[in-house]
Amino acid sequence: MYNLSSMYSMGLLEKGILSIIPEIVIVIFAFIVLFLTFFEKLSKSKNPYYLSIIGIGFSIVYVLMLSGRTISGFYGEIGFNRFDVFFFIVILLSGLFTVLMSKDVMENFEMPLPEYYSLILFGILAMMILIASNSLIMVFLSIEFLSITAYILTGYLKGNRRSTEAALKYFVLGSFASAFLVFGAVFIYAATGHLNLYNIHHFLSLISHGDMIRYGGIKTYLAIGLILFLVGLAFKMSLFPFHAWTPDAYEGASTPITSFMATGVKVAAFAIFLRVYFLIYSSNIMNFNDILWIIAILSMTFGNIAALLSPNIKRLMAYSSIAQAGYILIGIIGGGYYGYSGTLFYLLAYIFMTAGAFAIVIIFENLDLISLDIKRYSGIGYKYPFVAASMSIFLLSLAGIPMTSGFMGKFYVLSSAVKSGYNFLVVIALLNSAFAAFYYIRIISNMYMPSKKSADIELSNKNGSFGIIGGKVSGELMFTVIVCLIFTILMGVYPQVFINFANNSVNSLWRI
Amino acid sequence: MGFFIKYLLSILIFFPLASAVLLLFINKKNEGILRYLSTFLSLVEFIFSIYLFVYFKPDTYKFQFVEKFHWIPSFGASYYLGIDGVSLFLILLTTLLTFISLISSYRYIREHVKEFVILMLLLETFMVGTFVSLDVLLFYLFWEFMLVPMYFIIGMWGTGKKVYAAVKFFLYTLSGSLMMLFGFIYIYILHYEQTGNFTFNIVKLYNTHIPIGLQIILFIALFLGFAVKIPLFPFHTWLPDAHTEAPTAGSVILAGVLLKFGIYGFFRFAIPLLPSATYVLAPAIIILGVIGIIYGAFVSVVQKDLKRLIAFSSVSHMGFIVLGLFAMSAISVDGSVLQLLNHGISTGALFLFAGMLYERTHTRQIADFGGIAKKAPILTTLFLISVLASIGLPGLNGFVGEFLILIGSFHNYTVLTIIATIGIIFAAIYMLRMFQKVMFQDITNPEMENFEDMNLREIVTVLPLILLMFFIGFYPMPFLSRIDPTVLHFISMVSHHDTIYNIIKLKTGLSNV
Repeated sequence: MYNLSSMYSMGLLEKGILSIIPEIVIVIFAFIVLFLTFFEKLSKSKNPYYLSIIGIGFSIVYVLMLSGRTISGFYGEIGFNRFDVFFFIVILLSGLFTVLMSKDVMENFEMPLPEYYSLILFGILAMMILIASNSLIMVFLSIEFLSITAYILTGYLKGNRRSTEAALKYFVLGSFASAFLVFGAVFIYAATGHLNLYNIHHFLSLISHGDMIRYGGIKTYLAIGLILFLVGLAFKMSLFPFHAWTPDAYEGASTPITSFMATGVKVAAFAIFLRVYFLIYSSNIMNFNDILWIIAILSMTFGNIAALLSPNIKRLMAYSSIAQAGYILIGIIGGGYYGYSGTLFYLLAYIFMTAGAFAIVIIFENLDLISLDIKRYSGIGYKYPFVAASMSIFLLSLAGIPMTSGFMGKFYVLSSAVKSGYNFLVVIALLNSAFAAFYYIRIISNMYMPSKKSADIELSNKNGSFGIIGGKVSGELMFTVIVCLIFTILMGVYPQVFINFANNSVNSLWRI
Repeated sequence: MGFFIKYLLSILIFFPLASAVLLLFINKKNEGILRYLSTFLSLVEFIFSIYLFVYFKPDTYKFQFVEKFHWIPSFGASYYLGIDGVSLFLILLTTLLTFISLISSYRYIREHVKEFVILMLLLETFMVGTFVSLDVLLFYLFWEFMLVPMYFIIGMWGTGKKVYAAVKFFLYTLSGSLMMLFGFIYIYILHYEQTGNFTFNIVKLYNTHIPIGLQIILFIALFLGFAVKIPLFPFHTWLPDAHTEAPTAGSVILAGVLLKFGIYGFFRFAIPLLPSATYVLAPAIIILGVIGIIYGAFVSVVQKDLKRLIAFSSVSHMGFIVLGLFAMSAISVDGSVLQLLNHGISTGALFLFAGMLYERTHTRQIADFGGIAKKAPILTTLFLISVLASIGLPGLNGFVGEFLILIGSFHNYTVLTIIATIGIIFAAIYMLRMFQKVMFQDITNPEMENFEDMNLREIVTVLPLILLMFFIGFYPMPFLSRIDPTVLHFISMVSHHDTIYNIIKLKTGLSNV
């Protein structure tokens, strides 16, 4: 909460520090992990991995301890309230899954470990600051910080051409997006004279319609600024016209990082967009929903069509994540308490199903039997019963079939859109999700219903384990899969607890 | 016992699920144990469902065995179960057919037995759940997830182009269902705007006031979901593929239970929620139904594949049921509901026989058969009874249902009813021709020389269905007396709107259109 008395009251610094304790924990651990590089013995061991998990764990503990408080620090630049608690938890979970998934993959590639894990921690830190930031400058800085860690992580597989290409592409396009973002911020500042989001909100709610017209430029400047700002954020959310980096970056990066980008980065971008949207876009400047719903439809349609055509599982997931971003956007368009709460719920559901699906992609990659080509998945349903069944559930959840979190999330955002009168949008979204079901189902068909040619492969593999958990899968990956599975089903069958969580955090958005 | 009766519906839903979980822990190699245990558990489930019949009060239309718990208060969705005369028999049909199809698949299903029995029990959970939920969201959850086990059953154990058939089945039904979901969400939001409460309770949603123009749009949305499932004429194309390629058990469940959900959905949701639209659109839907009757019959005549023939005959039969339901007279709706059971029984039996023939000869082409009557007298007799029941011979179940439907709809839709009657004549043509080609004539195919007659297990499989055919044919009272109050309440609920609709029609000059 931003007001003068709290700003200049006692304990300003203490308050500031209190508001970023979860971030501080992450920073400390990130540096500890980084310093392990100096000790050759330590850096080769599994210490960086365990330290990262401990750091994330501590951070989660602090977030939970602070939850319920509303703290504003650093002259209102950083805020901490229930809204942040929700997203901190989501981001930290996403980071945790990434670290858990990374262990096996990184051992396979023999890359320096401490830098890798510290970069992940820095990425998490950047996202947390991004979510907590209350001013345009902070948004820009933390997005840049986040982008740089993401560029490095994408290109981390040294010597791998695809990885380097992906990083370069991501970097070039990302720089453009950052330019748009900062340009937009400048316009907004020029129009309102404030950098703090709450101040801008305050300014816009006080200024009368007459004033807006009298000081001619305000409205135009704001509209231009907000559109440019939207472009910058849409890049990170990988919405349709700004998605071009997504498939390449997702494909080129190592799979844990793909999962990190698909869950963490996207959720963080949505979180800050939701805050900015609530505070500024929804003011009476112009009807941004008209732009947003077109973007949503294009993202869904394009993502689904492209996913249908891609034979590579990681590319498919990349396109499907573009489509998913379209669905999430519907919640924001639907708006209001109900819509925002739906968006939050969907985002929470989304990280579990996506992280779970990527964990299984890694399992198949590690077992070295299957490349990323979907055709090679044929018949593995019988060899790895548990893993394949989990994969089916994650895919069904992404397709929005009931009994999974994906359905509840979709239902939530779509009903909010109906509530706001966007019926046309909802019908298109539903048609899209019927269309999307096709490529998800195709993977399941491949796993369980091999065609005759590939039946030979299945037969030759028949000596595999027949237990519930097949093959030699590392405990960490299995743990990730099981956690994601439990939450995916729980959120689909009994979502009330999670809805309450989302509702609480949306409530705090209203309490300005 | 009190507890048992009070939570009987929940037990019926979750018992198969618990059984499936239990079977998960049995080693995959013990196929015998898996088969017998799953059959036994489904028999227990069927016996539980008989309690439903015993303790059902026949003289009331009110929902019975009601259970209500909070589920998602934020959405106003609750775990709200209850049955009336219509869902009672559909549940009995579901549990019986699941049991029967599990026994019938001992010989057919040789690979992945564990997955098969688990999926069948899982499917049963969702089928029963769909029939008992009175909460729209809960209903939708059960309704749509049901596709997943069925998709696996067709795709994993089917024949020929099984993956194509499975995916087609899944996507067709899913697309329809999603449009239906839009309709439900819209009504839900509309109810919220009128009352300020979020609720998915179907009894409360019945009271939503929806202007007639909107009703028509929403009805079309719900219609798409239910019509694909029935399947009504232009939406039927998934059915022949799915039926033909599915394993016997899958076909039996598909024809016996899954097709009933479309009609049940109209009965429980679409018509009472949107009564005025029903009256506007009923003639069009009946026309589609009658086209389905005639089209299904014509196409059946030229089929060369036994299962495909039965599948198309289903299209024809479902057309009758649609005719009866939308004719909206008490008798015709009664007949429709009874015919739902009859169709499940007789078509289920036909698919079982088709499966037995396929298991012995590995062909489904009618031309490959011939002369089986001499080799297998029991099979011939029982098959003949099922064929006659399907045609609608008096004294067997099909006659009662079709007769009630035709009598009931004659008054309102005279011409269409007369046209529909042609369907019955054609049914006799294609069914008897098929029977004659398969069972009589000389043996042309040397493979038929070693044809075995039915063994005890197979007789046990079809016997309950054969007995039911005679029972309903001669004495349908126990069924009709339980269906009647529900149907009368349904008619009174809807025709109340009929009067309003007529007033609107007069005022707006819609009658001229």
